[in-house]
Amino acid sequence: MRRLLLALTMLFGLAIAGATAAHEVRPAYLEIDQTGPGVYQAIWKQPTMGDVAIHLVPHLSNGWLEETPVDQYAADGFLIRRWVIRSGKASPLDGQTVSIEGLRDTITDVFVRVRLQNRTGLDTIVRPEAPQARLVLGKGAPTTVPAFLLLGIEHILTGPDHLLFVLGLLLIVRDRWSLLKTVSAFTLAHSLTLAVATLGHIQLSTPVLNALIALSILFVAPEAIRAQRGEDSLTTRYPWVVAFAFGLLHGMGFANGLSTLGLDKGALLAALVLFNIGVEIGQIAFIAVVLALRRAFRLMAIEWARPIALIPSYAIGALGAMWTIQYATIVFGAT
Amino acid sequence: MARRFLRSLAAATCVALIPAVAQAHLVVTGMGPIYDGIDHFGLSPEDSVPVVALAFFAGLRGAATARLLLAALPLAWLAGGLIALSGVAIPAAGLSVATAVAFLAIGGLLAANVRLPPAVSAAAAIGLGLLRGFADLSGTAFSGGHLLTLAGMGASVFVVFALAASLTLPLKRFWMIIAIRVGGSWLAALGLLLAGWAWRYGARAF
Repeated sequence: MRRLLLALTMLFGLAIAGATAAHEVRPAYLEIDQTGPGVYQAIWKQPTMGDVAIHLVPHLSNGWLEETPVDQYAADGFLIRRWVIRSGKASPLDGQTVSIEGLRDTITDVFVRVRLQNRTGLDTIVRPEAPQARLVLGKGAPTTVPAFLLLGIEHILTGPDHLLFVLGLLLIVRDRWSLLKTVSAFTLAHSLTLAVATLGHIQLSTPVLNALIALSILFVAPEAIRAQRGEDSLTTRYPWVVAFAFGLLHGMGFANGLSTLGLDKGALLAALVLFNIGVEIGQIAFIAVVLALRRAFRLMAIEWARPIALIPSYAIGALGAMWTIQYATIVFGAT
Repeated sequence: MARRFLRSLAAATCVALIPAVAQAHLVVTGMGPIYDGIDHFGLSPEDSVPVVALAFFAGLRGAATARLLLAALPLAWLAGGLIALSGVAIPAAGLSVATAVAFLAIGGLLAANVRLPPAVSAAAAIGLGLLRGFADLSGTAFSGGHLLTLAGMGASVFVVFALAASLTLPLKRFWMIIAIRVGGSWLAALGLLLAGWAWRYGARAF
């Protein structure tokens, strides 16, 4: 019976692995800067995986991006295009619409940033469900709060790799005090590396990082099974140590969503804080739902049979193994 | 207990009010089919409202009923979706009327806090699951993506039902139970309204 459940769990894990690919959702980036009177520069960065770039084409309703770019090159997993536009109009961007062709078929966001010399500007995120945005340029510091906060929340809630790792930790911890220490350790660790990596002090290639994050999920699953069986191990005794150690890796994964945007230092710091708060909000919401669900099961007096109780841990392990193999294949260059 | 209940109710109300757009078709979030299913359930009051009401009812009827319905409802939802994906078709107007009747019936059960045997409650859950699972996937062709969307919906139904039932399971105070039952009467009234609307406008009612 247990073997059958294990096999079914593995099959389910493999079936959904493709649909919930470990978090490769780096955003694309469109920046338009006024570099002089009547002179504008537009930069478009879109993520690529090896030689493959998803079909994303930016359009601006005034036709600027239909011109041939002055520059086009690939660098660090990104395809970059640059335009230089001259316009005699007083405000050629205000009220225009940015639309991203092909975005609807992806899980990628596009961060749009506009800066003019008269200190007006705009930061916004264009998402697959609404792949266009109207540029309404505002005076003073453009509001970035909702954009980066939402990006942080979205980043963790749509990242099954991070969520599965947190779920694994929740299956390991045995009491509230241990839960508090473990979640705090994970938060501290990923905040630390999120900041350091976003500011460019440490860097790991995306496939290596994804493989290591997948390994962390693969590691936590057997430990969760041990904890559920009542067995003792270093992880079950000190889950916060594991949470801290692997939290460092996950923080670099979160940083992928920000560091690749190419924001300037001033904007990056504010973005970093807001993005991290967003990640914490998403993480707390997920933990709250899991704990509320656990309480609901207790109130319903549900006593899961041992093999059924182990299904989440086996599912985490199956997905972790799948992603580890997937990313290790990319790292080692096999096809 | 009263404070905890009010806090939980306030949180649930906030969550219910967050969705700004209600969509009657499959939602494409751009985040993959599983999230599409989760999102669709969350943004479709015709799905989430009767599930929450049935969960409140199950919670009032006790742990045994809640357990039974927690198993029956998501499985029936999946079965309904699979039937729709297999190509079976029912006129949209029929689905609209059936949904209105489901609102009326579940709202009525909750308002009256009827002491139904668990098996009969489970039958109501199976009826609702089959109906809404079918309605959500009707008109879509069978594909792996839709299966995952259905899995996302099934998981949402399971989680929302469990959380909602856990709100009413520990209720002992009379006025709290009355407050929940008043909610049921509103749902029944809404069901009547929808039934009339469906009668008048057919499928366009939803």
